[in-house]
Amino acid sequence: MELTIANFVQIVIACLLIIALMVGNAVIMVYIERKAAGFIQRRPGPYEVGPRGTIQAICDSMKLLGKQLFIPGNVDWLLYFLAPVMAFLPVLLLFLPIPFGKYLVALKVDDGILLILAFAGLGVISNILAGWASNNKYGLLGAARAVAQSVAYEIPMIMALLAVVFMAGSLNLSEIVERQGTWPWQWNIVFQPLACFIYFVSLVGETNRAPFDLPEAESELTAGFHTEYSGMGFALFFLSEYANMLLVSFVCATFFLGGYKGPILDGFWWTFIKAYAVMCLIVWLRWTFPRVRFDQLLNINWKWLLPLSILNLWVTAIVLKFIE
Amino acid sequence: MDQAIEKILALIWSPFNALEELIAEWLPGQEVAALIAYGVYVLIILAGGFMAIGSRNLIRAMIGLVLTFLGVAGLYLLLASPFLAFMQVLIYVGAVCVLIFFAIMLTRNTNEGEESKLPGIGSALYGLLAFLLPLAVLGPLIVKNVPKLTLQSYGQTETRLLGEGLITQDVFSFELISIILLVAMAGAVFLAWRRRPTPEDPPQPKTGSAPSLSTKGGAQK
Repeated sequence: MELTIANFVQIVIACLLIIALMVGNAVIMVYIERKAAGFIQRRPGPYEVGPRGTIQAICDSMKLLGKQLFIPGNVDWLLYFLAPVMAFLPVLLLFLPIPFGKYLVALKVDDGILLILAFAGLGVISNILAGWASNNKYGLLGAARAVAQSVAYEIPMIMALLAVVFMAGSLNLSEIVERQGTWPWQWNIVFQPLACFIYFVSLVGETNRAPFDLPEAESELTAGFHTEYSGMGFALFFLSEYANMLLVSFVCATFFLGGYKGPILDGFWWTFIKAYAVMCLIVWLRWTFPRVRFDQLLNINWKWLLPLSILNLWVTAIVLKFIE
Repeated sequence: MDQAIEKILALIWSPFNALEELIAEWLPGQEVAALIAYGVYVLIILAGGFMAIGSRNLIRAMIGLVLTFLGVAGLYLLLASPFLAFMQVLIYVGAVCVLIFFAIMLTRNTNEGEESKLPGIGSALYGLLAFLLPLAVLGPLIVKNVPKLTLQSYGQTETRLLGEGLITQDVFSFELISIILLVAMAGAVFLAWRRRPTPEDPPQPKTGSAPSLSTKGGAQK
């Protein structure tokens, strides 16, 4: 790809749109999440501010903006401030290669999925920095859990995606969508149901969502790695957590659910509908299942997901050879 | 009006154009944007390196290491191999550094180790020697064949060629490296392996080692 002024302008506009998407997504998802939680737990959820409580999330974010930036004693101030910024910045980069529509791609990278997987690792580093720098036992424990969890769940996630890459013969996200058809039975979820399942479980683990929210388990560790953060520091972590959720949902939609292809008319609306369906599934999962214990979490990964994903990869390779 | 805007734009661009001409004179055949990117990446690498050796705190040193790895990934991008660049970030930043952090956390007192003191003149000399040796070996080679930096990418052909190379002509070295990794993994499992006590075993005395973060603790009590 050549670097021209037009390309540069395109990337800048894309970054601005992505920031808007991230913030809008956080506001909408907080509302959906709290309403869903209320529905599942037989309580109304937010209903005071605005019609049916719709402005509640905006008021909350205003409150976060106005809060004092508090630095606890004896923290490593450089790392303490670096951590939320490091959580937020790479997410911008991660959205660039996602094909929202056939022509709606911010940056056409040939190794798009590799870019996403590579820079997603920076999020873990921000978590462990936050936990370590805030000079807090809860924070440190949360950081230790974040390390073990994300290193473990990254492997079956990559293996599951690799099975689809085998089928498509390409690391380019647009090409992977192009290989899938319009109708649901032509999507990769039909050809790779096991990979889709493994990917879904590991994405819950990677984004630290319940039932795998061990790094920030509020009933054990107050808030885990971000215990000492308030105001904008917390807001940045919060924003990046929801943006990460959105990102893995988009990757799920692209890899397994046909991306921008769908019945009647292809287009970016299908990507968004599918991604938000995955998001709602994650929210539903959070309020339905209790949190697993830490040894259970690691056992699920190392004893089930990893062998299954290796098996899946192996079977995929053999079948592909036979078809050839 | 249009002419005025053109003049202002020309004024803004003039230092860049001058720089471009200067670079074209010095290093013929190189892209200017790529050279600027090269400068930025080298600065990142150097800053990360100095942060890694200069800071008294192990975690800050690790952040320096992360910066250096990111800069090196940028250099791979400039050599038109995005696959290597992304793998560098994925493996070194996403896995190796995270495991280094884990190792740091298992040892206590990150601020009071041997590294918190400034090194003496002797170790500084050794460090300088260790820095100059690769430079002396590799420097002439690099000066002799300057690689062409580029912001272009050759797309998936690069990844495909790499994969084909690994399973055809370089398959022996590839397998050798996997055996080394396998040995390391088997060794780690062997060192960490402990038989779970059965009810007939006498209760083991508690050792005074540091509390470990291992997940097996609950099962052994």
